[in-house]
Amino acid sequence: MLSIKHLRKSYGATNALKNISIDFNEGSCFGLIGPNGAGKSTLMKILVGIIERDEGIIKSKHTKKEIGYVPQELCLEENVSALQNLLFFGKLYHLKGTALKKRAEEVLDSVGLTERKKDKVKTFSGGMKRRLNIGCALMNNPRLIIMDEPTVGIDPQSRQFILKMVEQMKKENRTIIYSTHYIEEAEKVCDEVAFIDKGEIVQQDSIEDLLRNHAIPSIYFKLQEPYEKQLDIHTFGDVEAYKNGYMLSTKNPMLTMENMLQISKEKKVIFEHFELMQPRLEDVFFKITGTELRA
Amino acid sequence: MSAIFKMELMNNAQDRGLYFWTFLLPIIFMVLFISIFSSGTMADQKDEVILSIVPGYTVMFVFFIMISMCFSFNKDKNNGMIARLASTPLPSSSYLIGKWLSFMIIVMIQILVLFIFGKVVYNIPLEQPFFLSLLSIILTISITGMGLALSLIVRTQNMGIAITQVVTFGGAIIGGLWVPLELMPNNIQKIGKLTPQFWAHDAFMQSMTGTLSFTSFLASSLILLGFGGIGFLIAWVSYPNFLKRAKN
Repeated sequence: MLSIKHLRKSYGATNALKNISIDFNEGSCFGLIGPNGAGKSTLMKILVGIIERDEGIIKSKHTKKEIGYVPQELCLEENVSALQNLLFFGKLYHLKGTALKKRAEEVLDSVGLTERKKDKVKTFSGGMKRRLNIGCALMNNPRLIIMDEPTVGIDPQSRQFILKMVEQMKKENRTIIYSTHYIEEAEKVCDEVAFIDKGEIVQQDSIEDLLRNHAIPSIYFKLQEPYEKQLDIHTFGDVEAYKNGYMLSTKNPMLTMENMLQISKEKKVIFEHFELMQPRLEDVFFKITGTELRA
Repeated sequence: MSAIFKMELMNNAQDRGLYFWTFLLPIIFMVLFISIFSSGTMADQKDEVILSIVPGYTVMFVFFIMISMCFSFNKDKNNGMIARLASTPLPSSSYLIGKWLSFMIIVMIQILVLFIFGKVVYNIPLEQPFFLSLLSIILTISITGMGLALSLIVRTQNMGIAITQVVTFGGAIIGGLWVPLELMPNNIQKIGKLTPQFWAHDAFMQSMTGTLSFTSFLASSLILLGFGGIGFLIAWVSYPNFLKRAKN
């Protein structure tokens, strides 16, 4: 229903997107994960029809009327009320009269701003503005929602609220494309993700498969002080110093933990800290791209 | 287009600065300069001063709408509104026309208010109301056309302010809005006749006293529309580039 093939876009000598191909599944949430300047916004703007691609094919059954776009910027009229903002965007999609007002009330309810609907936007907190920014994109009741970093710069409560909204949209069988550099958000709401870096898709898979195929569990441990000097730490294997202790990566964590406990028993050393660390998507991203997401 | 038009009007209605520039400051200037130039003069000389200053300062201050236009278009460009609008089914031409029409309304209200002030406070003559109305509309088209061109060309708001001030004050001085053109050197008079301010002021004064012939009206109107037309042409040529800058 939406697929892109060999998409390219450059600004002068800068290649913003290099040969991007993605198939988006209907009714799912697809995450675009990458650091600032990776090309996420450019890709989204092309998908929405704001900017033109240089090369490539976009196959979509959605017209502009069926797409909701949440830009990274807060594109709101600050001097008028939340309701007037929603009515404005509704009119752009040719909604009129009772249908327009009804839809605005529904959206206000879904973004949790009914109580403040008559207040000017300039009196809102950052989180409320972000929610209204999303609300404006929902006025046309879109089947495809493209969200460009919708939680940038807001408090944790507002972030949770927005993530719940995304979950709700998924339940309503809407297709969502969600870009972020907060990888934990993608882990929460996305079914499938693509890592994008320097204009290229470097990996694309379901979160489950990415973790299974690329993440290696680790064991974090720390010995009690008197024992640390008595034992060559490499007896446990190929360990790396990590946060006052050591980290040992292993593909078979259970067996490794058993061996480590066995060694500690034999050498008569006591652990101060001993913990199996679950693999994280952020580590996978770093492993694949060599880039920190929030560098 | 109507959504853009109404939103722009709502936004401007909230802008206290616009009220100051549009209504309060020209009224203060009118009162101040009429009292300065008419002090110690005979009644008929005072009438002449009023007859020149009311339309003169009206013409001068309508040019300040170009600042508001620059601010509005630049704000939309910088905060991503234009890019967002491009994601909707709204044609890009509707955005431009909607914005332009809202500023047309503001300028027409401004001219109306300033002339009503002149009539109520100084009892200015309005002998040819039909010509006056048409001239007001034509002046509005001309100035908003130039404002549109400026808004789409300038990269920053400060650039818009600077150019507007040069056009407004420069045109006011050499166009005879401050000092009658007849009192200026010949060369300045010739240059003054190249400004839209001169033609608007001259036509306004003549129609106020009932001496504006159809030919003079036509000449002034065509010249003013010519300035506006050049503005629209520049705006039309610049608009795709403006959109491109706004969307990236």
